[in-house]
Amino acid sequence: MISSGCRGLRHPLLLLTIAVVGEASADEARTWLDRMNRAVEDLSYQGTFVHVLAGNAETLHIIHRSEGGKTAERIVSMDGAGREIIRQQDEVRCILPDQRVVLLEARKDLSPLKSALPSYSNEIEPHYAFAVGANDRVVNRLTQIVEIKPKDEFRYGYTLWLDQETAMPLKSQLVNEHGKVVEQIIFTEINLADPIPDSALAATIDTAGFTMLRAPDSAAPVEALIPWRAATVPGGFKLSIATQSPIAGSEYPVEHLVYSDGLATVSVFIEDPKTTADVGEGFSHVGSTNTFSLTLRGRKVTAVGEVPSQTVRTIASSLVAE
Amino acid sequence: MTDKINDQISAFIDDELSEQECAFLVRRFEHDSEARGQAVRYTLIGSALRNELLKPDPAILLRRISSALDGAAAPVVPARTARSWSPRIARPLAGLAIAAGVASIAILGLRALNDTSVPASAPVAATQAAADVVEPASYVVPRDVAEERPVTPTIRLTNYVVHHGEYASGLNRTSVHSNVVTAPEILLDEQERAEPEAAPVVLE
Repeated sequence: MISSGCRGLRHPLLLLTIAVVGEASADEARTWLDRMNRAVEDLSYQGTFVHVLAGNAETLHIIHRSEGGKTAERIVSMDGAGREIIRQQDEVRCILPDQRVVLLEARKDLSPLKSALPSYSNEIEPHYAFAVGANDRVVNRLTQIVEIKPKDEFRYGYTLWLDQETAMPLKSQLVNEHGKVVEQIIFTEINLADPIPDSALAATIDTAGFTMLRAPDSAAPVEALIPWRAATVPGGFKLSIATQSPIAGSEYPVEHLVYSDGLATVSVFIEDPKTTADVGEGFSHVGSTNTFSLTLRGRKVTAVGEVPSQTVRTIASSLVAE
Repeated sequence: MTDKINDQISAFIDDELSEQECAFLVRRFEHDSEARGQAVRYTLIGSALRNELLKPDPAILLRRISSALDGAAAPVVPARTARSWSPRIARPLAGLAIAAGVASIAILGLRALNDTSVPASAPVAATQAAADVVEPASYVVPRDVAEERPVTPTIRLTNYVVHHGEYASGLNRTSVHSNVVTAPEILLDEQERAEPEAAPVVLE
C-alpha cells in the first residue's frame, strides 16, 4: 500500500523520470546526428536510392569518395533526362542533357567559410526536439531511427534511419510544417566497402556541343562586407556567412548571405543591379528546395533553402541595406 | 545495362511484354543481379507513380515472374523423358526461387517506401521526448502562399540551388542535388543558350 505522502510524490517523480529519459534520448539523438554528419562527408560509398517527391519517384545513383581529406561526389539520375552533378575537389559540374547545358563552377575549399556555420548545439534546442526511435532494417542493414521535430512552422523536420555501424542515413524523410512527408530518400543498395576508382566519378554524358555556363575561372567565394541584412528572420536563424560568389553564367559576382539555425540553411542571393539574368519573381521550388524572388531597390533578391516557403519569403522580403 | 533491357524490364512490370520476352527476362533475372535490382526499383517507382504508396501492391513482381514461368517457360522445357526430369523441374524451381527472392526485396522496399512514420514500436523515450515538444501555435498558411502559383525554375535559379547546396549539411546537400537532377522542368533563357562547347562562353 502506498502512503499518501508517497502517492503525492508519484506524479513529480514520474514527470522527472520522463524528463530525464527524454533528455537522455535527445542527447543520444544528437550524438547520432554528429556521427551522421561525419559519415556523410568522410565515408566512401556508392549506392542506388529512390528519391520520392510529390508522388513521383526517381532512381538515382550516388558515388562519394573521401580520401586524404579530399572529397568527390557524383549523383546521376538513372531515369528521365539523366542529369548529373559531379563535385570534384576543384569544380562543381551540373550536366543538364535535356537542356544541353553544363553549369560549371570553381569549387574552392569552403571549410574556412563553412566553419562559421553553426552545428548541433544547445542553441538549437528551442527550435527542434530530438529523439531516438526504434531499430529498423533498411537494405538489409540494422538502422537506428532518429527524429527531429521542429517546434514552429518555419523549418522542416526529419526522420532518419541511420546505419547502426556507420551512421550513414540509409533512409530519410523530410517532414513539412503540417507533419506531412514531402520528400523521401531510400537506399535500395549501398556499398561501403569497395574502393572507388576515378572512372566512377567521371561523367558518362558526352557534352560536346552543350552550352557551357561558367563562372570566372579564378573566382571563388570570398568573405566580403555585404551591406545587406535580413531584418526579419525566424528564431534561431543567424547570419553565418557573407560572401561575394561567382555563379555559373553570372556576369557579375553575386552577393551571398547564408543564414542557418544549425540544421537548415537559407541562402540569400543579391544580384548586381546591372545583371540581365532572368531569375523570375515570386515563389518557385526545385524539388523540396523552396525559393522566393523579388526585386528590392533595383536588386534581384532570391532566398533559397530546405525550409517552408514562408521562411524563404520572410527572409528575402525583409532584406534591408545596412 | 542497356536501355533496351531497362525498357524491357519496365514493360515487364507493366505487363506489356510478350510471353517470349517475359521468359527471356526471367531467365536473365536468374544470373543478372543488376537486372533484378532494376526490376525492384521499377516496381517501387511504379507504385509511387500509381499513388499506391499507402496501398502498395508488393506482389506485382512476384505475379509477373510467376506468370512468365507459367506461360513462357514451358516451351523451353524439353519433352518429358526419364533422363531429363531433373533439369526440367530444376528450371522452374530455380525461376520460382528467383521470383521469390526478387519479390521479397520488392516487398521490403515497398514497406520501406510506405513507412512514412516512426514504427508504432518506437520506444517510450521517443514518445516521452515528443510529449516534451512545445506545441507550436496553430499556423494558417497565408493566402498568397497557398494560392500563388510557383514559377518554373529558371537556369539562374537552378544555379543558385546548386551553389546553395555547397553550404548545406551533407544530408541536405544530397537532397538539394537530388532535387536538381530530378526537377521536371528548368527554363533556359535564350540569352543563356550561348555558343556550344566548340566555342565555350566564359562570361565576365
